[in-house]
Amino acid sequence: MTRFRVYKRQEPLGWGSCLVFLGAVAVSLLVSGLLLSIQGKPAFRGILLLIQSAFFSSWAVEDCLIKAVPIFLCSLGVSIAFRLQIWNIGAEGQYAMGAIGATWMALKFGHLPGLILLPAMFMAAAILGAVWGFIPALFKVRLRANEIIVTLMLNYIGILFLDYLVYGPWKDPASFGFPMTKEFPPAAVVGAIGTTRLNWGLLVCIVTGVAFWIFFKYTRLGFELRASGENPRAARYARIPYSGLVLLVMSLSGMLAGWAGLLEASASLNRLQPSIMAGYGYTAIVVAWLSQLNPLVIGIASFLLAGLRVGLETLQLDLQVPAAFGAILEGLILLTVLAGGFFSRYEIRRRGAAPALARPQDKQHP
Amino acid sequence: MKKLILVMAALLLAVPGAIAAEKEMKVGFVYVSPIGDAGWSYAHDQARLALEAMDGVSTSYVEAVQEGPDSERVMLNMARKGYDVIFATSFGYMDPMLKVAKQFPKVTFMHCSGFKLAPNMGNYFGRMYQARYLSGMVAGAMTRSNTLGYVAAFPIPEVIRGINAFALGAQSVNPKVRVRVVWTKTWYDPATEKEAAKSLLDVGADVIAQHQDSPGPQEAAEEKGVYSIGYNTDMSAFAPKAHLTAPIWNWAPFYKEVVDQVRKGTWKSQSTWSGIKEGIVDLAPFGPMVPKAVQDKVLAKKKELVGGKDDLFSGPIKDQSGKIQVAAGKTASDSELLGMKYFVQGVVGTLQ
Amino acid sequence: MNMDFIIPLLAAAIQSGTPILYATLGEIVTERSGILNLGVEGIMLLGAFSAFITAQVTGSPALGFLVGGLSGALLAGVHGLVCLNFQGNQVVSGLALTIMGTGLANYLGTPYVGKSAPGFDALPIPVLSAIPLLGDILFRHDILVYTAYLIPLVLWFYFRFTRWGLGLRAVGEHPDAALAAGLKIIGYRWVGVLVGGWLMGFGGAYLSLAYTHLWTNGLTAGRGWIAVALVIFAFWRPGRALLGAYLFGGVMAFQFRLQAMGTHLPSSLLLMLPYALTIAVLVFSSWKGKENEMPRALGVNIEPPD
Repeated sequence: MTRFRVYKRQEPLGWGSCLVFLGAVAVSLLVSGLLLSIQGKPAFRGILLLIQSAFFSSWAVEDCLIKAVPIFLCSLGVSIAFRLQIWNIGAEGQYAMGAIGATWMALKFGHLPGLILLPAMFMAAAILGAVWGFIPALFKVRLRANEIIVTLMLNYIGILFLDYLVYGPWKDPASFGFPMTKEFPPAAVVGAIGTTRLNWGLLVCIVTGVAFWIFFKYTRLGFELRASGENPRAARYARIPYSGLVLLVMSLSGMLAGWAGLLEASASLNRLQPSIMAGYGYTAIVVAWLSQLNPLVIGIASFLLAGLRVGLETLQLDLQVPAAFGAILEGLILLTVLAGGFFSRYEIRRRGAAPALARPQDKQHP
Repeated sequence: MKKLILVMAALLLAVPGAIAAEKEMKVGFVYVSPIGDAGWSYAHDQARLALEAMDGVSTSYVEAVQEGPDSERVMLNMARKGYDVIFATSFGYMDPMLKVAKQFPKVTFMHCSGFKLAPNMGNYFGRMYQARYLSGMVAGAMTRSNTLGYVAAFPIPEVIRGINAFALGAQSVNPKVRVRVVWTKTWYDPATEKEAAKSLLDVGADVIAQHQDSPGPQEAAEEKGVYSIGYNTDMSAFAPKAHLTAPIWNWAPFYKEVVDQVRKGTWKSQSTWSGIKEGIVDLAPFGPMVPKAVQDKVLAKKKELVGGKDDLFSGPIKDQSGKIQVAAGKTASDSELLGMKYFVQGVVGTLQ
Repeated sequence: MNMDFIIPLLAAAIQSGTPILYATLGEIVTERSGILNLGVEGIMLLGAFSAFITAQVTGSPALGFLVGGLSGALLAGVHGLVCLNFQGNQVVSGLALTIMGTGLANYLGTPYVGKSAPGFDALPIPVLSAIPLLGDILFRHDILVYTAYLIPLVLWFYFRFTRWGLGLRAVGEHPDAALAAGLKIIGYRWVGVLVGGWLMGFGGAYLSLAYTHLWTNGLTAGRGWIAVALVIFAFWRPGRALLGAYLFGGVMAFQFRLQAMGTHLPSSLLLMLPYALTIAVLVFSSWKGKENEMPRALGVNIEPPD
């Protein structure tokens, strides 16, 4: 065994990474199939059913797109923070705060026309979400407090605050005492696209996705953020120091998650209620990582993971598979991809041998 | 010859009728929590299994469905797959169900615990408060400290109503009792619920009741050597020495009735709120520690309810601040009960 | 606010804090060796379930407890594999482990929700429990609580005085120096990960075998994350972890008692207390300069050379 050693590749695998990724997904599906068998469910048929009902039935694509919208926005936000290696686990809380901000605006100024009200709601959601991202960032730059913990705790606090509002001051008098706000006036609802069940939130996703892709690829600040991955503390832009960048990315991150909350409250539920919380903030982390923080790939990955959730319901309905199966698959995919990433960056070969994909200029020194 | 033709025609017409009467029914259930919680969804699922045992009925379910767009999608899928009857068992499914019902007029939709109707959508609930009142009578009779503890999940009307009924029942046999309420903000988290129960025990409660789906509070009572009242199902297995009784659900007869009606074409959209009389709610068997005199008293009251006399919320009823909510000589109406937002006097706790 | 209130509160604080204590101690061991394991929540939940089902099937809570620890170690082993052998990012791997671990436990455990298993009951220690005040608070619990009293002591001794303990610390503080001194870094880190996972599994097992004798989806309810925070509060020292865990358990117990006494504060706001406290504690620790205490090489993978 000592004849073989692990070497870092001269260049990370390019298209090979794609293969590795697919391999990882395949392994995950295999293990999940095994788990299905343990519970006595047909493994092969189950996995097939999952894929088919997620993507290959006529209404599945629409379902997946609807579900992908909040996942996409939260993931985009999370990915921006991850670029600076700021581990924003707080998308759930930022999402809740955004929903709260939008609701406040909708309930207080519901008499205004939609042309004014909707942008105002977006602004309110952006501010509250950004604040919820700003706080942990502030603690991090001033006190070096671990942002993982602070954002996580703020998740719980944000959700409890939402609970307090819908059980208390914002409860709809006509709701028979159930925790929900009044229904949003039509001016406050982000409408449907034509006769489909999709809403204009999809447009928001496309616009923000493209905007940030351009930002990271073509602006200096974006380049600075991208390049700072390995050595974040060396990141500087003009005269903005590292701490300023941290505050900026966390606020942007919170803003995007806040917009996801707004869209769910306005377009999907037409009111604020506790069941708006659906774990998108955590799925967002998985998506952001799998997409290697690339906005366009995030779009695809959001769609795929939304598909996972949709397909899971059919598995429940047709095969009585427990709901927790989806989480296992999500976690497995992430783990296998992480492990698989090893093969893109390293290779195992005989001690002293030439690299497998050697370029002429990479002659090994004895 | 004419007679033969007539007879044959009659037979031919009868055959499709006979086949139609035996139509295979697909019934779907949407649950808000996992079914194994020995609680709310579990009770519905037990009834679903009873339906499954019926001839020509196949059932399925999706559990842990979030209220909102997820539930809409689940119900849409069921309707698209040709389900004939869909039961949705949580208040928050109401609006999504209405949306789907409008798109599938041939499917029958039944919503539990809500208030909206449509030509093909009805709603239903059970007068659990009747059983709670009876359990309150037992608790009131068995307590020595005159403090009853109530571990409650969320401040929604049915929970508040249940607490009030429990308190009124206890006060009817023991006017000095106080009911202390602790909110856990969860339906099934045994560790949290047990901690909440312990906090009530520490302030002197010697009977623990619950509106929770796990037996956590029962364990706490058993460990301390005091009494407890279960919920949803008979929880005596978890607390044999403590468990006095439990208000329980029994959805099977109602579900069977609905499926039969749909099958025969006699189903009508309406709001059904049945109680002990119809068998939807009941009281679990008494534990061995309940004296016969108490049992008799409670069973006598139950007999009244079975007979249709429901005067549990008759005035004068005062709320915590002393204000009269139900005047003397009057009985609270159904809509007053459904939207109950106050605690009766004798209950100690917030409404948030 | 008299003794009748305080003593049961403190006793409840200890019981409530014990699962968090086990998990915190486990994470301390892991982090001291340089590995950040954010999968505590998933590991605890899986530990809770495997302990529960073992006790149910075999009838032995003790065996259940051990299996809970074992499953914790195994799941942590996945994290070790991904980070130590496959150079995976430690933060993301831990998060993935939380998602997968909770999913796995909930999935396998679905048929067992609402059932009960034989567990550990209270075991007052003969002489000690008769001590006024302290006896009621400290010595009327189950045996797992008493074990939790002792583990910080064992760990303190291990880290301070044994060769292996010092080696583990060196690997987390100065891996270069450790390498030069001939220590096998990967080996020590594996120990850190597995022993840590074992203790985290114990924490979960406590919830389903002693704190309650029940299992349900999501039994841990975020305690794993609290443990990660408490590691920082404890300055990575086992002794302080005791203080932090019981303090936290106390807050959780306290807000229920406030309700039971009839406070008018909305329960949602009261429920925020433990989480707000965690942030306060973290901010306080950071302000006090805890980064001097943090293992310097925490979270950084040792890359294979070119």
